Amino acid sequence: MPRALWSGSLSFGLVNVPVQLMSAARDLDYHFHELHAGDKVRIEQRRFCSKEDAEVLWEEIAHSYDLDGKQVIVTDEELASVEPRKTRTIEIEAFVELADVDPIYFDHPYVLVPAGDSEGTLRAYRLLVEVMDKTERAALGRFVMRTKEYLAAVRVREGALLLTTMRFHDEVRPTKPVPTGGRKPAKKQVDQAAALIEALATDWDPGNYEDCYRERLRRVIDSKRKRRKIEVPTPQTEPEPVPDLMEALQQAVENVRAGRDARSRPEGDDGADGELDELSRDELYERAQERKIAGRTKMSKTELVEALRE
Amino acid sequence: MAEVEKLRPGYATNMAPRSIWNGTITFGLVNVPIKLYTATESKTVRFSEVHVKDGAKIEHRRWCPKHDVEVDYDDTVKGYEVSADSYVVLEKDEVKAAAGDRGKVVHLEEFVEAAAIDPVFYEKTYYAGSREAEDAYRLLHAALRESGRAGIGRFTFHDREYLVAVRALDDVIALHTLRFHDEVVDGDELELDLGRAKPRPKEVEMASQLVDSLQEDFEPESYEDSYRDAVLDLIGRKGRGEEIDLLAEEEPEQGDDLAAALQASLGKRRR
Repeated sequence: MPRALWSGSLSFGLVNVPVQLMSAARDLDYHFHELHAGDKVRIEQRRFCSKEDAEVLWEEIAHSYDLDGKQVIVTDEELASVEPRKTRTIEIEAFVELADVDPIYFDHPYVLVPAGDSEGTLRAYRLLVEVMDKTERAALGRFVMRTKEYLAAVRVREGALLLTTMRFHDEVRPTKPVPTGGRKPAKKQVDQAAALIEALATDWDPGNYEDCYRERLRRVIDSKRKRRKIEVPTPQTEPEPVPDLMEALQQAVENVRAGRDARSRPEGDDGADGELDELSRDELYERAQERKIAGRTKMSKTELVEALRE
Repeated sequence: MAEVEKLRPGYATNMAPRSIWNGTITFGLVNVPIKLYTATESKTVRFSEVHVKDGAKIEHRRWCPKHDVEVDYDDTVKGYEVSADSYVVLEKDEVKAAAGDRGKVVHLEEFVEAAAIDPVFYEKTYYAGSREAEDAYRLLHAALRESGRAGIGRFTFHDREYLVAVRALDDVIALHTLRFHDEVVDGDELELDLGRAKPRPKEVEMASQLVDSLQEDFEPESYEDSYRDAVLDLIGRKGRGEEIDLLAEEEPEQGDDLAAALQASLGKRRR
């Protein structure tokens, strides 16, 4: 179970549910340290005063803000004085329809678990889970973690309370200035595009997608450890826009229905696997993985295409 | 899905966005050239570090503790720690090899029901805007909106590949980077044992009433970042040379009788 980052109570009317908060997302990335190239010693970050050109201790540092050209210096103690006082409570202010909260407002997810195993705590926790799950609602509230006050949405996921910190309305940029030029598509075109989407439709199952980047980075580190040469792949070129949208849509739908890759072109006409040339090495590698082709890790793009054609 | 624009009337829309990435989204044989914009920005008050004594800016310098010298960024390599102080050393370019070769292309290989993606998977949001061949952009947007589906693909940004969901949001196409399944904590990992703590029907009824009484429409603009305001106010007061009062914390009360607390809350709401 993940580590508790915060503990306090979830306050709902006059009911307080003692809870612990932990991150619902875990970091599985490979992390690197900065090393000095010559001696492979780990680099330290040191703070220097730009005026005195001398190292400065942590205690000698304050926070500076540029207020219309005037430097205002604020200390840790002064910042602490404006922290809201109820620092150990998630105060639920309102309940809203979960479907009304666009996910763009969601920032970081956390889980809330009951703190302790007293019957009263567990019952109050479960009461909230049951009521919110049934009504498909999210509770909105505020709480303070470390030095910051957050707006948070609490909802039910897989039988537990999930708390997500939220962005404030002015932290979500308006969509208006984003260029969306072009003519309104004809209904026939939209129908055809929707047909293509339906042909490529599948159920959402997060388990279907692996972090290929993480896996490739693992292989890079491994190759380096074994003193193998690291090949930097050449990125594929960007495809040109197609002149006839309708024709492209029809061809793609036909491809999918015939069990071909949606992006294969009839002109390519070098057998049913013509589309393989269009794929990137990573896509080819993933197909080779599916077909369990031996020696695939060391194959070049061309070799992968050949192996897949066999 | 709610419409961001409609929910935020009066929001300044005159700022010219700056794109951060150019590329092409493809679905089937249709290629949609796009520009990408960040959709969110933190408004947390940012301070810079200064030396208390003279107000001078603090510089972070890379330092080699062995030679006791400052080190240039160009004179650093990446070290993956395999055991204490033992590293697999990679050049910065070698790390880039993991980016893969998708380049500036996002192939939407399959489409899922947008509402079926639990928001816990959404990480960062970008807006995709049209670049050229703009009819194709409008067509993809219309088809995503019509079908209520999101396209799933892979997106390479700053030499790193992400899983993305592409969906219609207002009049634009939104691109969300997604967390992978093993990066999200599952409910069963929490080992919650709530079996013996079944709430009584009366408690469920009262709690439902309380939830109903607190029911509101979600209006993002009715929530202001009061902490941000408080910090900005502090800066203002400090800027005018005012003395700052230092306050103490307060502990919350704990309720012990669930039904009584629910009853009291309902009474409080009705007043």
